[in-house]
Amino acid sequence: MSFLNTLIPSAVRAQDDLPETRRPHYEVSETENAYSLTVNLPGVFKDGLEITDENGELRITARRSPALPEGVVALHRETSDAPYGLVLAHDNTVDTGKIEADLKDGVLRLSLAKAESAKPRKIAVS
Amino acid sequence: MRFIHYTQSNGRSASPAVGLGDRAPRQGLENELDWLFGTALTGFAGFARGGQFPVDLYEDKNNTYVRAELPGVNRDAISVEIVDGSLSIQASRKAKSGEGTVSFSRLVSIPDEVQTDKVAAAYENGILTVTLPRREEAKPKKINVSVN
Repeated sequence: MSFLNTLIPSAVRAQDDLPETRRPHYEVSETENAYSLTVNLPGVFKDGLEITDENGELRITARRSPALPEGVVALHRETSDAPYGLVLAHDNTVDTGKIEADLKDGVLRLSLAKAESAKPRKIAVS
Repeated sequence: MRFIHYTQSNGRSASPAVGLGDRAPRQGLENELDWLFGTALTGFAGFARGGQFPVDLYEDKNNTYVRAELPGVNRDAISVEIVDGSLSIQASRKAKSGEGTVSFSRLVSIPDEVQTDKVAAAYENGILTVTLPRREEAKPKKINVSVN
């Protein structure tokens, strides 16, 4: 089963699941052994980031740190201070012990190793 | 009186420039922002494919601040310029799929009283903050009036 097929319906559900958050822009790609997830999280420091994976669901919540001087007045806003929230279902096709995350310049890159059961298997005919 | 124009240079020309000087028609501005967020929430295709990126404007008594969301951009690939009284922000980054680069640009009109030679920019966590200091004479002055 493709990660993408399971991922898109749950991503839509995620909006009800995390009502106070907004969904960041993200991209998923797949190799033979892993899924790679790129999430745009501008304004997020490492401390404000929380990634959990349980019951076949990868959950990312991230708080933005505006880091503006005190006493500033907003004249025009196009961004939101709401935290980012993203829930992606993967039906346990991911080895949760082998998830690597890297946050740089507001971009989170996650490498999710596939569970052995999700890898293509060659069956020898005896 | 200050008047900041905010220009959008892509196909969204149906929406006129947002005037920030007259803040009275709050509702109009909010609708405009809702509309912008609406576009942003549909996956933020603009940033993914190049073109526009969201910008915030702030001020305090000494400076005007322009903040732009530019995740995943190399510092060397960001250019900030003052051209004809406008702040021009240009950035590019490698395309995620294959070769080539994706370019972004935005033009923000800035107040006249900015000290253009003292503009500073910083990039952190995917956010570019441009600090535009105000000229001394433009800062609000406190005048003490003694009443006899």
